[in-house]
Amino acid sequence: MNKLVEKRTVDMQIIGDWVEPGSRVLDLGCGRGVLLDYLQQTKQVRGLGVDLDFHKILGCVRRGVTAYQGDMEAFMRAFPDRFFDRVICSRTVQELADPAAVILEALRAGRAVTVGFVNHGYWKNRVDAFFHGRKPRNPVYTTEWFESRPANPVSIADFERFCAAKGITITRRALLRGDWHTPCGFRPNLFAGYALYDLTR
Amino acid sequence: MNDAEEDIPIVPPEPGEVGLVEPHDFVHAQPFTFESGQVLPGFTLRYETYGRLNAARDNTVVICHALSGDHHCAGIHALTDAKPGWWNNFIGPGKAIDTNQFFVLCANVLGGCQGSSGPSSTDPRTGRPFGLAFPFVTIRDMVHAQKLLCDHLGLASLAAVIGGSMGGMLVLQWGIEYPAFVRRLIPLATTARESAQAIAFNEVGRQAIMQDPEWNHGDYPKGGGPRVGLAVARMMAHITYLSDESMDQKFGRRRTKRLTPATSGLPPAGANAPAAYTFDVQFEVESYLRHQGESFINRFDANSYLYITRALDHFDLTAAHGSLEQAFAAVEAGTLSVAFTSDWLFPSAQNREIVLALLRAGKRASYAELATNLGHDSFLLESEDLYTLVRSFLGSPRSP
Repeated sequence: MNKLVEKRTVDMQIIGDWVEPGSRVLDLGCGRGVLLDYLQQTKQVRGLGVDLDFHKILGCVRRGVTAYQGDMEAFMRAFPDRFFDRVICSRTVQELADPAAVILEALRAGRAVTVGFVNHGYWKNRVDAFFHGRKPRNPVYTTEWFESRPANPVSIADFERFCAAKGITITRRALLRGDWHTPCGFRPNLFAGYALYDLTR
Repeated sequence: MNDAEEDIPIVPPEPGEVGLVEPHDFVHAQPFTFESGQVLPGFTLRYETYGRLNAARDNTVVICHALSGDHHCAGIHALTDAKPGWWNNFIGPGKAIDTNQFFVLCANVLGGCQGSSGPSSTDPRTGRPFGLAFPFVTIRDMVHAQKLLCDHLGLASLAAVIGGSMGGMLVLQWGIEYPAFVRRLIPLATTARESAQAIAFNEVGRQAIMQDPEWNHGDYPKGGGPRVGLAVARMMAHITYLSDESMDQKFGRRRTKRLTPATSGLPPAGANAPAAYTFDVQFEVESYLRHQGESFINRFDANSYLYITRALDHFDLTAAHGSLEQAFAAVEAGTLSVAFTSDWLFPSAQNREIVLALLRAGKRASYAELATNLGHDSFLLESEDLYTLVRSFLGSPRSP
C-alpha cells in the first residue's frame, strides 16, 4: 500500500506542476478528493470533482473539496465551452464505457485536458499475459480476475493513436518507468509504467 | 481512482438530547410589506433555539421547516410529550447539527398556524381571524421575516441555513437575499422551481378544502372550518411524501383488524352486504391515511394550508431572475445539496439543476444523492450517511 501512496504522490506532483495557479480545475472520477485537496493547497485552484459514489463525495466534502455525485459526461454537458481551465482524468480512463466520448467532451468543456493512466503495454503486464497467460497483476492492478470490475486497459501506443485519429494535440507528456519516478525515454510503450498527457483541441 | 486507501474512520461523539425546550415569540411591531405590496402593521414569529450563541454571534444554524412543519424541531416541551420535535434525530449535542457547537434557530413560517402570524391569527381590526384578509405570502416574505428575527437576536451572520422540501426553497432564498449573511446553504430534497406535477397536487388539496362547505370562503371560527376537506388534502399529500416501494413494505395489502365505517356518523356503507363487501376501511394503508388526516386537522389550519401551498406554487427562481444562474449570481455561501433517489415529488434531477446552475454561476456547490426507498420524506430519515455528510460539510476545513 505504501508503495502505491508514494506512486500517487509522484503523479500528483506532475499534475501540480502542469496546473496554473488559481485556475478552475475539474477532476473526473475524483475519488475522495485527495488530488484536488493537494491542488487547492499547493496551487490555490478552484477545484471541483465528479464521482458516482456517495462515499467518495462524502470524502471530498470532509476535505473541503467541492464535488458532484453523478455521471461525468452528463455533468460536463451542463457547462458551456471552455468553462474549465483544466479537466483531469487521472487513472479513470480505463474504467469508462466510452472513453473517446468523455475525452472529447472534456476537450470541449475544458481549455486543457490532463489524462493519466497505467500503461498496459508495460513489459511486466506483457509477461503476465505472455508467460503466465493470465490477467496482469501488479501494484496497480492488484486484484484477481474474479474480484475485478470490467476494465478497459489502455497502452501508450493505443492512446497516442487515438489522439492522432481524433486530431487531438498533445502539448505535454510525462512517461515514467516502472518506479513511476524516472522519466522513460526509450521505447516507452514497453518500458513506461505510467503515462500522463496534456491535451488540447 | 486516485485514492484507494480508506479515510480515517469518523467517530462521531456520543449523541445526547436537547431535552426540555420552550418556544418564544418575536413580535415585530413595525409595518411589514409583503412581496404582493400588501402591508401588515406587524407580525409575530414563534421560534425555538437550542445551544449557545458564541461571543462572535456567528455560530447560528437556521432550520427551515417544510409545509406542515413548525418551529419545534428538537427536544420536548414536557416530560410527558409522546414525541420530540420533528428533526430531533438530526439536532442535538453530538448529532449531525451539534448543539455543543452551533446555536440552532427554527421559526414557524410567516403565514403558518403554530404561533406565527397567519390567516388564523386575530385581525386587530375585526377581533376575528384574518382568514383570506391575510396578505398573500411568498417564500421570500417568509425569509424576510426570518431575517428580521435574526436581527432582533443580534446575530452577526449565519453559519448555515438548512431545510428540506419547502425548507430547501427558503434555504435557496436565504442565500440569494442575504448573500453576505450566510456562510453555508444546505437545501435537501427541494426544487428551484415548483413543477406542474407539484402544483397539481397542491391544487387538489386546495380544492378538497375549498369545496368543503365548512370552509365558507375562509371565514370560519377558531377550531372550526373544513375539517373533512383538510383531512382529505393531507391524506392525498401524504401519498406524495412516500413511495410505492415504502408503502408496499409498510402496509402491503394487509387488512385492518376491525372494520371502521367509511364515513363517520353514517351507517356502514353498503349496510346490507357481508362485511368484506362494503366500503368500510379494510386495508391498513387506508387506516393509516385516515389517521394522518385526522391528526392533521387537530394541529393545522385550513387557510394556512391554502396560503403555504400557494407560496410553494409561486416559487420559481428562474422566472423571478430571468435564469437560475442570474438568480444565484449574488450567492456567496458554499452549498451542499442532497437528493434522495426515491423522491418523486422533488426528484433528484431538480436538485441537480440547482447545483449545476450554482456551478455555472461560478459558485461552490456540492451534490450528493442518497439511495433510499422512502420517497420525499427520506430527508427526515435516520441515516448515518446523511448525518456524516452534513456534519462534515458544517465542519469542512476550507471556508467555502
